[in-house]
Amino acid sequence: MSAFPLRVALCAAAVAFVCCDTANAHEIVGNRSFPATLTIDDPGVADELALPTVSWYKTGDDPSVRQRDISFEFAKRITEDFGVSFGSAYSRIYAPGGPNMNGANGFQDLETALKYRLYKNPEHEFVLSVGVEIEWGGTGARDVGSEAFNVYTPTLYFGKGFGDLPSSLGWARPFAITGQVGYAIPGVSSTSAIDPDTGDIDTEYNPRVLVWGGSLQYSMPYLKSSVVDLGLPDFFNRLIPIVEASLQTPVSNTATSGTVTTGTINPGFLYVGQTYQIGIEAMIPVNRQSGTGVGAIAQLHLFLDDIFPNSLGKPLFGNSIAAGRPKFGN
Amino acid sequence: MKTFIVAAFVAALPSAALAHAMLDHAMPPVGSSQNTAPREVVLSFTEDLEPAFSSIEVRSEAGAVVSSGKAKVQHTQMRVPLKALGAGTYKVIWRVLSVDTHRTQGDFTFKVGP
Repeated sequence: MSAFPLRVALCAAAVAFVCCDTANAHEIVGNRSFPATLTIDDPGVADELALPTVSWYKTGDDPSVRQRDISFEFAKRITEDFGVSFGSAYSRIYAPGGPNMNGANGFQDLETALKYRLYKNPEHEFVLSVGVEIEWGGTGARDVGSEAFNVYTPTLYFGKGFGDLPSSLGWARPFAITGQVGYAIPGVSSTSAIDPDTGDIDTEYNPRVLVWGGSLQYSMPYLKSSVVDLGLPDFFNRLIPIVEASLQTPVSNTATSGTVTTGTINPGFLYVGQTYQIGIEAMIPVNRQSGTGVGAIAQLHLFLDDIFPNSLGKPLFGNSIAAGRPKFGN
Repeated sequence: MKTFIVAAFVAALPSAALAHAMLDHAMPPVGSSQNTAPREVVLSFTEDLEPAFSSIEVRSEAGAVVSSGKAKVQHTQMRVPLKALGAGTYKVIWRVLSVDTHRTQGDFTFKVGP
């Protein structure tokens, strides 16, 4: 196997697994709190720190190789509705992966995201935000698949809770869905490299990629504080069973990438504390190109607006009274 | 060692700072059915509350306000008296401001009668 297809596969794996791992937050809309999700971004703006997010999986390369990523993300509100976040990941690729098939280590490209909350409807627990995510090319290690060029991803985010269902469907009111749709635009349309096996110049076309995904979640905190208190132990009242989907579909400039959708379906649980959240999910590849076997992802997420309410945890400008997470009782 | 450090960090978090005032429990309980009409609603939160910016309102199915007067706040607890309630479903609507200036809100129902 030449290094070139391996590098292509690594890039695809990086897009598939890393780009979406570092951007997470939580959002309050009326009685609903949308928790931080692990593989897609939630629809809101907040002051938070995700450290660490750790994932283990087997890539979609041929042969498939094991990879472990440790990532972080720091999100800061500039105003109540506008925020910025920074994140990156440190990847370890096990042999026979890497450019020399001996494995590789290194940081992925640094990522920055700007997000603005466009619309919020507390009564119907609906929120809509727009943003742009920027992957800064050349800031990461090429050996682990980082790009040498920037990638810009304008993205639409939404969340909808079902607390407005009639009381006859009270059991369904804790359900909520979130989603995101982005369009990843590489800063350069193609890159060339000399194939070490043949000496030929290979040209790789960098596709524009639809980055999309969603989550279906059932909030036990919402059930307890808004529908019915079943008297369950506190641990269960803080759980949110969740299924996330994180997918990518190349849609143009696909001469060398193909158009196959890749990604994972991630069932798991979130545990929501007063000032932190812990999440763990399985990562099930949607096809062979997305990986082999079932991976896992886990995250410790800190609510900076709770930990530092009068300093780091409030917007730099504007309203200093923070809207809270209303439905998380003990 | 790393596991211990992380575990110690997480364990320290809840006590490391103030946080949002969350509904801990309610009397009458959320979603419960009461054979006899309660005389007050008592809500307990996870943080101390600011009395001036915290309230409870209880409404009947027809929308009539059946809570009586302003809610009284004492540390983490807030209570409001109720008028004489007949059989039916009642909605408790609460809004609070915790002492660290985080706002929270919520609502739930309870039933009176068989």
